Amino acid sequence: MHIYIHIPYCDSKCFYCAFNSYTNLHFTIPSYMKSLTKVITKALQKNKQKIATIFIGGGTPSVIKPQYYEEIFAFLKPFINNESEISIEANPNSATLPWLRAMRSLGVNRISFGVQSFSDEKLRYLNRAHKAKDAIKAIENAYKVGFNNISLDLLYDLAIDSKELLEQDLRLAFSLPITHISTYELTLEEGSRFFSMPKVKAQKEELNFFIKETIKSYGLKQYEVSNYGKICKHNLAYWEHKEYLGFGAGVVGFRKNYRYYSHKNIQNFINDPFFCEKEVLSKEDILLEKLFLGLRSIVGVEQKILPLNMQERANLLVKEKKLSFTNGKYFNEDYFLADELALFIMQN
Amino acid sequence: MSQKSSQENIRNFSIIAHIDHGKSTLADRIIQECGAVSERKMSDQLLDTMDIEKERGITIKAQSVRLIYEKDGKEYILNLIDTPGHVDFSYEVSRSLASSEGALLVVDASQGVEAQTMANVYIAIENDLELIPVINKIDLPNADPDRVLTEIEETIGLDCTDHVLVSAKTGVGIKELLDKIVDRIPAPKGDENAPTKALIYDSWFDNYLGALALVRVFDGSIKKGQTIQIMGTKEEHQVLDLMYPHPINPQKTESINTGEIGIVVMGLKSVEGLKVGDTITDAKNPTPTPIPGFEPAKPFVFAGLYPIETDKFEDLRDALNKLKLNDAALTFEPESSLALGSGFRVGFLGMLHMEVVKERLEREFNLDLIATAPTVIYKVLKTDGEEIIVQNPSELPDPSKIDKIFEPYVKATILTPNEYVGNLMKLLNERRGIQVRMDYLNENRVLLEYDVPMNEIVMDFYDKLKSITRGYASFDYEPIGFREGDLVKLDIRVAGEVVDALSIIVPREKARQRGLAFVNQLKELIPRQLFEVAIQASIGNTIIARTNVRAMGKNVTAKCYGGDITRKRKLLEKQKAGKKRMKAIGKVQVPQEAFMAVLKIDR
Repeated sequence: MHIYIHIPYCDSKCFYCAFNSYTNLHFTIPSYMKSLTKVITKALQKNKQKIATIFIGGGTPSVIKPQYYEEIFAFLKPFINNESEISIEANPNSATLPWLRAMRSLGVNRISFGVQSFSDEKLRYLNRAHKAKDAIKAIENAYKVGFNNISLDLLYDLAIDSKELLEQDLRLAFSLPITHISTYELTLEEGSRFFSMPKVKAQKEELNFFIKETIKSYGLKQYEVSNYGKICKHNLAYWEHKEYLGFGAGVVGFRKNYRYYSHKNIQNFINDPFFCEKEVLSKEDILLEKLFLGLRSIVGVEQKILPLNMQERANLLVKEKKLSFTNGKYFNEDYFLADELALFIMQN
Repeated sequence: MSQKSSQENIRNFSIIAHIDHGKSTLADRIIQECGAVSERKMSDQLLDTMDIEKERGITIKAQSVRLIYEKDGKEYILNLIDTPGHVDFSYEVSRSLASSEGALLVVDASQGVEAQTMANVYIAIENDLELIPVINKIDLPNADPDRVLTEIEETIGLDCTDHVLVSAKTGVGIKELLDKIVDRIPAPKGDENAPTKALIYDSWFDNYLGALALVRVFDGSIKKGQTIQIMGTKEEHQVLDLMYPHPINPQKTESINTGEIGIVVMGLKSVEGLKVGDTITDAKNPTPTPIPGFEPAKPFVFAGLYPIETDKFEDLRDALNKLKLNDAALTFEPESSLALGSGFRVGFLGMLHMEVVKERLEREFNLDLIATAPTVIYKVLKTDGEEIIVQNPSELPDPSKIDKIFEPYVKATILTPNEYVGNLMKLLNERRGIQVRMDYLNENRVLLEYDVPMNEIVMDFYDKLKSITRGYASFDYEPIGFREGDLVKLDIRVAGEVVDALSIIVPREKARQRGLAFVNQLKELIPRQLFEVAIQASIGNTIIARTNVRAMGKNVTAKCYGGDITRKRKLLEKQKAGKKRMKAIGKVQVPQEAFMAVLKIDR
């Protein structure tokens, strides 16, 4: 079983962010966490399955005091064992030493820091609440309290980005005790501050290849478009099209052949945490999802799920060395082309 | 309104004018002055009935209206015969003019005489029409009627002493113009007792009444119930109904008499048998001599039309058949292309006709089409003595089997302010034009006449001409037969394969330069794909130009976690729909525009 828990609070809103998060509703945290606990408890009441992964994401999970997590973990404990991957996201400014220690003692064994860059100028440009030195400190602290699976996020393709700047970011990242790195190309998301500012994006395709090659030179293997290093089992489950439960405001869960969506608005979620809206997926929808998710990651695509005409197209790509084929599965060699490959296979 | 008339109070007249010189507005104003349409029903440009005509401000189909006008206590029937205003339809213009006894020569008071005007004036003079010079738009601040009148006298040699100054916009001079029409245009002088002789000067398809013929009766009359014969096809039909033309309310009548115009209803399912220029006569008592000058409209320009979705071939056939009901000049036959699958080779009267047909097919029949670059007809004399006609460059035989190639030429007439003469001469020279005449009409207007291979003008000549003369030059052309040319077939290879639909025929000395421009244009149009795409131009097996479209580097969005999967799927579906509008040639996706790319190359 895979569980996602959403924390929709942040200390500041980053200009590129269109996620469901708020900076001015911290006063609702106690009731939000109460509703969250309620809905998790109810969902796990009849559960007999072991929990393979938990991912606490946001927003910024590190703005929530440890005591709230303690209540939730009390319920989760029986389903967790040594194999379980328990991840949490954190921001350098709020992930204090005591907070990190508390998380570690709750059993959280993977932590992912929203660093974005080690350039203070770039951080200001993004409206991040921290500075480079805070990020370094936080990661060192995490290591100190016993985290040995640490990840950090970097953002690139901003107008101010250059190969030199990114090289500097990566050099600093790899001087820290990390096992994983996520590098995201800036997308101008509707609802973000940057959406109406197309000039903030550099549109330098070569930066993608530069980042990929540089990370490779540090010995980390790319296993998804934006992810390198020790595989995050939770995210892998998404790409494997596995079922997962989502808890919190504006979350999505996936069961059998449908997705369900909770209330996006915090107050609505607090009032009615059990609400969910269903989206039923057709066979074609599921096929398409398995296709593009498989191609954007190490997961691959099983040949037998594809109709014959798509198999033919996929075989053509194997012949052209764009895909490889082993053990009944197609594997992509170049994740950056994933969508184009999926489109090529889908064409009829 | 439907009272009978003797010929002496009938006046049949056309309007000759250049595009934008206000022909349609003037026609509307005349109709209004005669009270044929109440103010309430008056919409702009009544006689342009197709949407495309209204949008583009051009007249494609000839239209007519019968009007009643009173002068000195006497009622006259004025038949206004509107004519198409574009060089593509000059045959229809000539038939309209042949149906009239007179014509209004409408010239813009600030612009002066243009090439199109001249071409049509010559047709009118050949038909012995009485011409009334009408200077329009005299309300404009820069109107200079005297200069324009002098110009008409100098360029056309027409006596302009007796002219009318009007503003179709404000209505000034319209009454005087109508009086002049009555006074100066001769009444028809047909033989009322002779066998029926009527000229079809337009035909179209009406959803309720079937195919209709718009005719001018020269001798005798057409009566309801009469059995008539179409002399060109020898087919006989019964006249089911007769009408006097009117843009809103056609009036039914029992007969169309000598000298009159009218619409003949025969319940036909297609205009195919009602070709413009043909003669209608009585089936039992036919006229011994048909009206001269009948020649079915000949297509000059050919292009392949292919449905993007290959299973829409039959839909395209149906649509072409339906359009043909209303457009006898449209010809088509099935052809197949290795690159594009099954489609049709379609013949058009010219570039505008082609654009209009393509637009109507897409708009009215909801088809997504690829049009190949337009081409002219070539006559090829093969080494074995056989002569063949080539309408599609890919059909040109192997060079070793060609003895001679002949290409069609046109006489191009251009009128231009003198400051652009240099630019024009350069353009015409680039297009292999041969100067025949250059006359200074006055200190700042020049008339150029060139013999030019038609191949050089079907593509982008008109746009080029307009851009280098800032829109001030006007242009007309007429075919003058075939001449030998040193021509070769230029093939385009995409990813190593010849794409037959992209082949063009070019003069040998320009092949390399065109080939290079063509591959570079295609490079701009073909989006980057999973594979590097080589684009080459070749003559036979010799590659003369090449370039590459680099392989795509990245097409994927950065993030895709649990909450994004549905949104991502929808984005991909959108991209997939976008790709559907491209044609797959092997593993390469080629957008529609690429097939017309040759039109855009700078040469």
